[in-house]
Formats: sequence, structure tokens, C-alpha cells
Amino acid sequence: MLPFLKILVRNIIKGPATEAFPFGDTFTPKRLRGRAELNPERCLACGICSHVCAGGAIAMTESADGRGMEFRLWHNTCTFCGLCEHYCPANAITMTNDWHLSHEQSEKYTCCEVQFVEYPVCKRCGKRMLPHLHQRLAKGLVGAVNTAEIMQICPDCRRLTSAMQQIKSKTCFSTDRSNS
Amino acid sequence: MHKYLKQFVHKSPWLYRINAGSCNGCDVELATTALIPRYDVERLGCKYCGSPRHADIVLISGPLTTRVKERVLRVYEEIPHPKVTVAVGICPISGGVFRDSYSIEGPMDRYIPIDVNVPGCPPRPQAIMEGILKACEIWKKQIMEVA
Repeated sequence: MLPFLKILVRNIIKGPATEAFPFGDTFTPKRLRGRAELNPERCLACGICSHVCAGGAIAMTESADGRGMEFRLWHNTCTFCGLCEHYCPANAITMTNDWHLSHEQSEKYTCCEVQFVEYPVCKRCGKRMLPHLHQRLAKGLVGAVNTAEIMQICPDCRRLTSAMQQIKSKTCFSTDRSNS
Repeated sequence: MHKYLKQFVHKSPWLYRINAGSCNGCDVELATTALIPRYDVERLGCKYCGSPRHADIVLISGPLTTRVKERVLRVYEEIPHPKVTVAVGICPISGGVFRDSYSIEGPMDRYIPIDVNVPGCPPRPQAIMEGILKACEIWKKQIMEVA
């Protein structure tokens, strides 16, 4: 009998379904894919993000003086697909749940995520080199090589160090043999 | 009469929606913003209208394909001045994933002056609301200058 009464009472208890948004807060899920963000300290400048980017939103250009890599993500062609986040080997790119991206036309080309990934300096020769997984390697690699030290020098210096080590070990070996 | 109207007219801009070859994703979001009570766009005084001649704020979605270009421009010309254009989704702003395609006439602002951009693929209903809110402010200014 009169089924609408049930609905009426339920709706009165529930209150309005309209979100308060333009005048109040709204619900944003934690895992919503919104504006992408780069942590320049973790970035390896490998460029996989710009390779997989569906919208071609990411441009990575090396600075003229070779000091580092400029990372530029234009939000106006980002599809929020999250591929960059998925493929980033260093977890440097994250999709934040910030969706407040609407802007006026004058800001069209400045609506970017711009970060500068500075190349670390080799401790021995002072040359710039590509960034590396410093923290991870220091934790993961074990053995005779001091990883914490070897990761702070450029590949050329690293090669030299390992060659020197080999020479040393060979002389040891040959002397051992001559003695026997 | 003119002054009397001026007090009220800026309170209720009418929305008009143009699909310039969109994949329908943004149009679904636009319908969501307009039609369901959850994100009630009519609280802002906005109302969807069916004719471009009644429109004040134009919401354009889609990357402007070659086939619809002439029609979009014709419909756009029919909208009386002052009008505010909102580009909904990344397609009208930059071409999005269709950029540099053979059948895309490029970003919308080559042909139509855009006022507000709402990036997203598609944007959230709340983001569209935010864009419409910005467009309302611009429209208010324009109507004050004209009237």
C-alpha cells in the first residue's frame, strides 16, 4: 500500500544527494589519477615515460650546458592514463589525485609540470653523468666493490677503477705462481 | 528596461554543447554534470539549451575533425555575442591522443577563440563544474562591458 511513502521517508532521512562542490567540499578518491608529478631527486632521466606516454605529453630535453635534463609534462595533452607511473623504474613519477586543472586560455601553455633533473658530478674527475639508483644499489649490491663509493664516480672512472683492481689482482696471482 | 535586465541577466548563463568529433567520453561527463542531481549544474544558474541562438556559454568537446569543422564553425557563428567558450577535455585544447592525425584540423583555438580550458580525458564532472564556474565569471565581466 502506497509504496511511495517508503521512498519518501527514506529520502527525507537521507537528505539531498547533490554534492556541495562549487560551494563546498567534494569527495576525491585517494587513487584518482589526476595531475602527474615528478620527483626530480629520484628521476634517472631514462626517458621511458616520454616513450610510453599515450598523449605525447612528456618532453625531456638536455640543457645546453649539459648540467641536466629538463622534464616538461604538458597537462593539456595528458590523458591521466598512468602509463608513465607504471613504467617508471625509479617511481619518480606519481599521479596525484589533484584534479583542479581548469585554467584560462592565457595559461594554456604554462599549465605544465616542469622539473629539472640535475646530473650528479663524478667525485673523481668532475664530469657530469647520468643519475643512478644510488640508494637502491647501495642497499642491494654486495661484494668486494664499495658500491656507495663507486656509484659516485662516472662510468669512465669506474672502468678505470675496476681495471686497476684487476691489474693489482693479476700481479698478486703471477707472483704467487712464480713462487710455487 | 535595459538597466533592469542587466541586474538579472548575468545570473543565468545558458549552456550549449558542441561535439566537434569527440569520442563521446567528454559528452557523457557533460551530460552527467547537467542531468544527474548529484552535480547539479543548475545551482550555478546555468541551463542547457537546445538552440545555439539562446546560448551564452559554449562547451566544446572533440578535436575538430575535418568533417565537422565547417559545421562547428557555422553553429559557432550563430551564437550571439557575448559568448564564452569552454574547451572540455584535452582534445579541443591540444588534439590530445589524436594530435597530428590526418583527419584532425588541429587545436580548436586555431579557429575559435577559447576562454577556459578544462583538461582531462575525460575531465571529472567536478572539474567541468569548476571550468563552468570560471566561464560564468568571464561571462559576467563581458556582459557588464557590453550592456
